[in-house]
Amino acid sequence: MQNYDIGNKVLEFANKYGADEAEVFISANQLTSASVRRNLIESARNQQSHGLGVRVVKDGAVGFASTNVFNRLEETVKSAIAMAKVRDSDEDWKNLPSNGKYPAVNGIFSKKVNELALEDCISLTKEMIDGVCSFSDIIAPSGSFSRMVSNQLIMNTNGVEVEEKSTAVSGFVDVITTSGLPSTAYDFRISRDLDIDFYGIGKEAANLANSCKNGVSVESGQKDVVFHPFAFSDIMESSFLSSIEADNIQKGRSSLTGKLNTDIAARELTITDNGILDGGIASSISDDEGTPSQSTGIIKDGLLKSYIYDSYTAGKEERSSTGNAVRGSYTSTPSVGTRNVVFDHPASDIISEIKDGVFVTNVIGAHTANPISGDFSVEGRNAFVIKDGQIEKPIKSLMVSGNIFELLRNVKGAGDDVRMVGSIITPSIWVSNMNVIG
Amino acid sequence: MRESEFHDVRWIEGESTSILLDNGKIEDINTNYGNGCGVRALCGGSWGYTSSEGVDGIDAAIKAAIELASDVNKHSPREKVTLASYCEPNVDTLPSVKENPRDVPVEEKVELLKDLSNNASCKGISSTSASYSESTLKVHYTNSEGADCEYELTRVGFAISAIASDGAAYQIGRESNFDVCGYEMFRDPEILEKAQSAGKTAVDLLDARQAKGGKGPVILDPELAGVFAHEAVGHASEADLVLEGSSILADRIGEEIASPLVNIIDDPTLHKFGYYPFDAEGMQSHKTDIITDGVLNSYLHSRETAGKLGGVSGNSRSQGYSAPVVRMSNTYVDNGNSNLDEMLEELGDGIYLAGTRGGQVNTGEGIFQFNAEKGYIVENGEIGYLVRDVSLSGNTLEILKNVVLVGNDLKMHSGRCGKSGQAIPVSDGSPHLLISDALVGGVQ
Repeated sequence: MQNYDIGNKVLEFANKYGADEAEVFISANQLTSASVRRNLIESARNQQSHGLGVRVVKDGAVGFASTNVFNRLEETVKSAIAMAKVRDSDEDWKNLPSNGKYPAVNGIFSKKVNELALEDCISLTKEMIDGVCSFSDIIAPSGSFSRMVSNQLIMNTNGVEVEEKSTAVSGFVDVITTSGLPSTAYDFRISRDLDIDFYGIGKEAANLANSCKNGVSVESGQKDVVFHPFAFSDIMESSFLSSIEADNIQKGRSSLTGKLNTDIAARELTITDNGILDGGIASSISDDEGTPSQSTGIIKDGLLKSYIYDSYTAGKEERSSTGNAVRGSYTSTPSVGTRNVVFDHPASDIISEIKDGVFVTNVIGAHTANPISGDFSVEGRNAFVIKDGQIEKPIKSLMVSGNIFELLRNVKGAGDDVRMVGSIITPSIWVSNMNVIG
Repeated sequence: MRESEFHDVRWIEGESTSILLDNGKIEDINTNYGNGCGVRALCGGSWGYTSSEGVDGIDAAIKAAIELASDVNKHSPREKVTLASYCEPNVDTLPSVKENPRDVPVEEKVELLKDLSNNASCKGISSTSASYSESTLKVHYTNSEGADCEYELTRVGFAISAIASDGAAYQIGRESNFDVCGYEMFRDPEILEKAQSAGKTAVDLLDARQAKGGKGPVILDPELAGVFAHEAVGHASEADLVLEGSSILADRIGEEIASPLVNIIDDPTLHKFGYYPFDAEGMQSHKTDIITDGVLNSYLHSRETAGKLGGVSGNSRSQGYSAPVVRMSNTYVDNGNSNLDEMLEELGDGIYLAGTRGGQVNTGEGIFQFNAEKGYIVENGEIGYLVRDVSLSGNTLEILKNVVLVGNDLKMHSGRCGKSGQAIPVSDGSPHLLISDALVGGVQ
């Protein structure tokens, strides 16, 4: 059975069992991957997933069920309706999205990625290992290559019918030095297209581990910190992004409640949630409930301009969705989430402007932040001393702590090294007055 | 069809229900039924792995896995893998399910969550969220050596979080419990006490002071010490990480790596959240003494790593249809002889760290970082005022050596552990531990 036929069948069953509205979300993914152990390819994998989630509305209450067994469509619809019946009518529920005008989104599907043969995947993985081996005394304990081809269909009883095919390819490698005290690093790239320099992933990771050998300690104190895109995106994802989601605003779980059009960040910092970014990992013509994707300004000229909404949270405020309904998989209901988050700031040669500071490539422990207060405390990894405008010795160990909302105000500059770290796109960011514990 | 030395098939069928209550109102209610299989094939030193959802074509999946393995072996050969020998497991240690959660009406589960929310909503709490989950999983394992075994396991659990706000600041308190048992878990009034404790933590944290960072002696409560045992020691003892060169514990078997008071154990036979009767390679689960009296005794193994390093396999696990990886189960620091009062007295002036907001570890360099939920300043052996935003970081081997007292009050906590992109059920625990010197991070 084709996905359209499955979708139509589900909507028919929903109608038959008395749903007032219904939606079916079908996804079919094919993941091909190769994994590396100690400089050698250990395995190749081919993982197929194909399943559907059904959302029904009955008497103003929503129910959901999912399955990957396509001869159980009727049972699945029935359990979604049974779930809806357990709930009271929700006066905040308006409607499932209606058919809208969908934007054109470029660079989401690559024929080259779609057609990659296993042999190509193996040779790209080998390139990554070769990059690591261009340094002596450094190995790749683990790493992976992956190629994903996805097909997604959303249909509902209000006329939404959106199908989209997409591709993604990524490379990841961990490296460690094999002589002296161990020094580790990693590098990672992801793209919709086959435009990744795999050799470069291995070489950059090895170069970083190499330059972090024999780290020194630093004195504790308030310092200027430059966060590499890896470190910056990790901290932002864990301590900031949830506070712009409308459900957290509406439930009083965000420090940004009531702060629209107020000054919350450095003047030159711009943050945009962009669901239609060319080649973006989180780009698509619609969000995960069929609302057309869009670009939404979050912070501009230091002012908080908008929160992000799915159709339910938008309905609560009698406004339109920003196209931010996202799902983890077909087994989950949509909820508010960011798409591609783009950080913009005028670029300069920031290191040369810093007298006394640290450069932090990545952090561990970002997910332990308090996402409401914005307080975070992380271990800085692959960090370096910045002295009189120069990057100097590597730092053995340091903690960096602070508050994300203070950090946004203390942004002093940005590098020109914009990088796509998954769905977060950012340059290196220079922040003053960070608390560093050596 | 091309040849492989070995292949195996895991067929999994699962059914689950989850409910999320937000401020007393149902936010999400969700059921899933699914099945599928994961197939491995070994050719020389190369593995091929296929997984597919739905009922179609196990034979095709086996054929595809063999082709993948043989292609990798051809284009990028690796030293031949010899698997540790196989023996059929006894599946007679399954935990009992006194009350099948599927027989309990959904309405009753919603009422339960409302009860939890109400108990968490003490004065000062501005919002609550409560979730319930149940799942039944059937696993059937076969391999080319003739294995054929299966089990069915029911898991239930809940999580509650409460947020306190004074208008300007927000603090969260969380509690949860997940277990391998039936709905009888929810008949225990202790779960309502847990909900109350989540509310109280959030409210107390609002008035907590911020901690000053620095080095010094600390007491870890059972929850935080359990996270240390799991994250810092347990992961480094996973033999795949040892072999690939990213474990600080490589080449240290037989070496005294910890204070002689320290015993760390992984035991999947315990009826806790990390329980399983046999692992993802069909091997009998068994207890492993990782550290005995301070001496590193054993790693955790799959058949491949046990074949290479020697040792007993039984710790291969996977999430759903994903490829098996060496994992922990129920991991804990075993009881010592001290009680908390003695430890506080020995500590004198320092900090008592309690609860956890998660952590991360670099097993290669042996460095970790954990955030405590809260801390108490201890002066003259007396527990004093509450501090928040405190973290513990340092070097795994240094901390293990710095354990000066081990409590006699072992307690386990359930959770999920992530590795290789897969989340699996585990539990970890410890009695209270007194550490003579550790780096505590604070905001000041």
